[in-house]
This record gives sequence, C-alpha cells and structure tokens, in this order.
Amino acid sequence: SSSQLSSVPLQVLFWVNGIYYVCYFIASLAMIFCKSEVYSYPDGFLFSDLTLLFLMAILEALRLYLGARGNLTEAEAPLGISLVMTPGSVFLGVYFLLWQAYVLKADVVLNSVLLLLYGLEAVLKLKTIAAF
Amino acid sequence: TRAAARARPLSGPAPVTDVAKLCVCDLLVAECDVNCCCDPDCSAAEFSLFTTCSVPIVIGDSRLCSQKAAIYSLDVEANPPERIFKLIDQSNPSIFCIHATNYKEALSFSPSPVPTSENFDQLLEEFGSASFSAEPGSWNMNTDAQDSSDGNETYRYEYGVPIQTVDAFLRLPSPVVSSWCSDANPAGFLVNQATKCTRSVSVEKCVDIQAVSMLFYINSSILAVPQSSQMVNITVQSIVVQSLNGMQTLVNGSDGLRLPMILAGLCINVVLGVSYHITYTDTGEIIEAAAAFVLGAINKEALAIQQSFGISFTQVNTEPVPLSGNPGYVVGLPLRAGFKPQGYPFPVGIVCAALVLNTNKYSQFTILQSIANQDCLAAQGARTPILFGYNMVSGCKLRITSAMKCQLLSQTLLDLLKGQNFPEYVASFGNSQAQDVLDWVPITHLHTSEQTMREFITLLQSSCQIPVSLEIEVKWTKYGSLVNPQARIVNVTATITSTTLQQLPSGRERIIPITSSVVFTDISSPAEPGYKAWPTINVKLPFDFFFPFV
Repeated sequence: SSSQLSSVPLQVLFWVNGIYYVCYFIASLAMIFCKSEVYSYPDGFLFSDLTLLFLMAILEALRLYLGARGNLTEAEAPLGISLVMTPGSVFLGVYFLLWQAYVLKADVVLNSVLLLLYGLEAVLKLKTIAAF
Repeated sequence: TRAAARARPLSGPAPVTDVAKLCVCDLLVAECDVNCCCDPDCSAAEFSLFTTCSVPIVIGDSRLCSQKAAIYSLDVEANPPERIFKLIDQSNPSIFCIHATNYKEALSFSPSPVPTSENFDQLLEEFGSASFSAEPGSWNMNTDAQDSSDGNETYRYEYGVPIQTVDAFLRLPSPVVSSWCSDANPAGFLVNQATKCTRSVSVEKCVDIQAVSMLFYINSSILAVPQSSQMVNITVQSIVVQSLNGMQTLVNGSDGLRLPMILAGLCINVVLGVSYHITYTDTGEIIEAAAAFVLGAINKEALAIQQSFGISFTQVNTEPVPLSGNPGYVVGLPLRAGFKPQGYPFPVGIVCAALVLNTNKYSQFTILQSIANQDCLAAQGARTPILFGYNMVSGCKLRITSAMKCQLLSQTLLDLLKGQNFPEYVASFGNSQAQDVLDWVPITHLHTSEQTMREFITLLQSSCQIPVSLEIEVKWTKYGSLVNPQARIVNVTATITSTTLQQLPSGRERIIPITSSVVFTDISSPAEPGYKAWPTINVKLPFDFFFPFV
C-alpha cells in the first residue's frame, strides 16, 4: 500500500533518544566517578549504581533498536517487545532520579528529560501499534 | 509512566547541626563575648554596645541545594543599636549541588565505635586487617549516642574545664571590664589563679549582701568528677581576722562559720579574701577542697572594699614544690639556689647529699636592694630576689669617716653585698630537685682589685681592701628542641671588686658608691641545620628471582 504506517515522529524520537542517551550515559558515568572522589561513596552503593547504569545502557540500546526496527519494518512484534521493555527503562530512570546515593541537581534534570522522552515514546508506540 | 515522569519532591539530607544554635564565637562560659552576635548569654543591652558582628552568617553544608542559614547583623540606625537575627533558606545556584542523598552518613563524620570489652573482638575482626571498607550496614550506628560517653567512668576533669558544683560552677569573682567584681568567672581545673576586685558595700546592707558572707563561698559542694553525684564539701581551712588598721590575726579554735553582723557601728566578719586549695588525684578527680578566709570589718564611710580571691591545686600525696620553670627557667621567676649541708666532704658530698634550700623561693638568691635614702649602712636587710632574665643593678652610697675601722667596714660591706645566706649552688634547670646535686651549678667566686699594677706596690703597704662592687654574671644557654628551647644555667660567677681604703685625715669624710649587679648572658650556640639523608632507591631483587635458571 502506498500509505505509510511507520510513524515519522516516533522515528525522530528514537533518534533523539539515542543521541540523548549517549550524552546521558557519559554524563552520568562521569558524575558517578566525580562523586566517588569528592564524597564518601561506600563500595556497595558504588557497585550498584554503576551496574545499574550499564544495565540501563544495554537495555536502552536493545529497546531503541527493536523499536526502530519494528517501526521501519511495520512489524508489531519488535515494537511490542520494545514497549514491554519500556517500564524497565522507566524504573531505572526513576532509580537514578530518586534512589541513587547522591542525587545532584544535574541528575534531576537529566533523568527528568529522559523520563519525559520515555513517556512520549510510549504514547507514540501505542498509537503506531494500533495503526499497524 | 506519566506519573513517574513527574519527579516526587524529595527533602534534602537532614541537617546534623541546627544553625540557629551554632555559635563559634561563644568562647566564654556564661558570659557575653564581645562582638559575638550569636552568643545566647548576651542581653539586648550588651548587643547595643557591639560595633560589628564577628560571625555574620552561619550556614549549613554549602554543598546542598538548599540549606538553612542564620544571618546575624547589627542595625546601627536604630537607637540603641539592636541585633537582627534571620533564619532563611539559602539555595545553591550550582548545578552540581546535592539535591538528595540516600545514604545516611553521607555528609557528616560518623562517630567511630569506642572499643569496650563487649565489642572488642568484633571490632578487631572488622578493622584489624591491613584494609577495610566502610560498609554502613555493619557499623553499630546509634544516632542517640553522645560522643564516647559510657556512664560515669569516662568523665574526669581536664585542664581548664570549669569545676562544677551542685548548682553551677565554682566561682572565683574577678574584675571583668572595670574593677568591679563579677561573680560569673568559673575556676578552671589546674588553673592557678589569683584575682582582686572591688565590691560595693555599705554597713546597713552588709548582712544582706551575699558576696561578703562566708556562706556564699562554701555552701555549694563541688562535684568530684563532672556530672556525677559524688560531692566534695568545701571545708574551712583557716580564718584570719583583719582589723580596721590592717593587722591580721589567725583565729585558732573552732572553724565554724562567722557570718557578717553589725556591731557598734561596724560590720564585722566581712569576707576580704578567699583562697581555695583543691586536692586532686592523677585521674582528674577532686578529693578535697578547703577554703582559707580573711575576714575584716567595714565602717560607715566605706562604700567599697577590695576582695582578693585565689585558687591553687595540689596533687594528692605530693608536696607542692615552687618551681621556677619546667624544665627551663621562665623569665621573671626567681633563681633557685642552695647550700651543701655542712659536714659532707667533697666529693662524697656530691654523691650522697641533697642540697639545703630556703623554703621561701624568693629568698634563695638575692641582691642588695636600693633604698630611698641611699645610705648603705641604713639599708639593713633590704634585699630583692634575682629573677631569671632580668638584669639588675642596685647600689647605695657609703659615707666613710676617719673614725671607721677598715676591717670592720670590709666585713660589713661584704655582708651587705652578699647578704646573710649567700648560696653555693644554683639550679641549672627551673625544676632541679635538691637531691640531684649534679643538676646544680656551683657559684664561682672571683676577686678583683681596682688598682693598676703601679698601685699594687702601695697595696702591699696598706693592706686594707674594702669590697665596693659585687657583679653576678649568669651564663645560660638554650637547651632542647628548636621549637621549644628551655633555658638552662651553665655558669654563675660572682665577682667582688675591692679598692684600697686610704686613711683619711681626721674630720674629713668621703662618699664612695657601692654597687651590685646581676647580668644574664645568653651563650647558646647558634642552631645548626641538620639535613636528612638524601633518599635512596633501595632496589634489590629477591634472591630467587631468576629461579629456574640460577
């Protein structure tokens, strides 16, 4: 059919999210290293924060890849899996916003924007799946 | 997900100290510090006298995004000037300020656990190895615990801590700004103090004024250790009664309280001086307290009296030894000097004997004191102690008439210059004990004559020499570490200069000056720098480094 079911805004969001997430990851990692030098950061907290950050990166990469593929190939399954993975990413975003050892103002800003992006993506994914 | 996108507001980490109560310039206990606007002991009248606030702002941790700040300022426009106190929330503009923490001990030092017999094994297991990590879960955190208090056994008095009594502190009234007595000066443990201040009195109200009655100074008992219930009563050691013309008599007999009362127009038993003597143990506990009083009388014209107060501390089972320094001499304290006891031959005496010292430390080593009328023969017995570091010159004038016999004059002058008990040994350190004879420096005596060689011939003809000057030279050196050098006396030389007394024709008289002087000379050698050895790289391979091949 000539009509295009792939959602352009969703793709744009995926692209923005990807770039933003790279910056977010580098910034978060740098800040965690800084915090561990300046403040007293016990090993348990440091280990859990770093692990969750790397986990979040892997999850995010997978989620964005599946979402973009599903959107471009107009297949529901990958997009559905991507939607199911979204709450996991949201949970990790909330973790870094609320339950880190030290939450700086910069952390609040970064994580809020990330959660906003997740929210918008989720809405658009639902709409796109409904359209397929 | 929408809800999660809105961040829940989190409060920042709880502040450990209350900034409204923290005051770093409040140094004096129960007294107002000058220019300290946060001092709770200051009243509004005292705030109006300040010029600036030395502590204008007290902020909580400035790394937090929002912290409480207490701002103190003086409003100089108002009449009288008043202090303004504002408690505001200050926010940190930096983007890296701490918004929240989830780690309880994040921004404060946690109190380290004190080893007791119960937790010693666990602490040794945790911290006894070469490294350990700060795991918050494994510490026995007790946020209610005060710093290292474990009942009464860890409390003790330390130097400078105010001595506590049942109601407040042991007070030693002292002049604060003017010479009027202020009763808010606490006595510090092991701080020997002596103060004099003025108290306003009147005969009519003398029974009502608390501060002139003996009861005020001994009614509250001292706590043996801080914050305990063990009390030490203050006993009355002695009472000296001073009459209106200044004569003092010791009261013997019962040491009951003598309270002020009005008798024949005078108010008697008014406290003029209190001297506390506290006995302490070496664990910082007070076991005895005694007070010696001087009571006097005031008459109708008296508007104010001068009271003197003192406190001294003695360790239990020791005799208080007057030291002139510990160990080096302190400038201004008298030189300690003594004699070898009679009958001990040298050198056996050096090993076995202890030196005999005058109990009054100001009479051990003295020189002639100049008096107003400058007549040597009238200056009987006026002597002044030699104080370390103070060069002194004194003298008098001797009027010689023809009738004076030379030998008698010579002996009198020698007694005058040297005094009755001129010592033989001087202590090299301020705390030298009398039984360590090797710590004492013998005084070297020299005699010189004022003549030149040509007059030496005439000297042989009329062999009458009278001493005219005594010069004591004390050579001292700096001993010990460079940052805290101690003064140590190395050598004491007493030089007597004599002159010939020519026979005067009858009726004539001559005046010659007699002088005595003390000079302190510093002969310390200059400090030489000592350099540490250059660090070397000490590399040695282990002997089995090339194992299979060697």
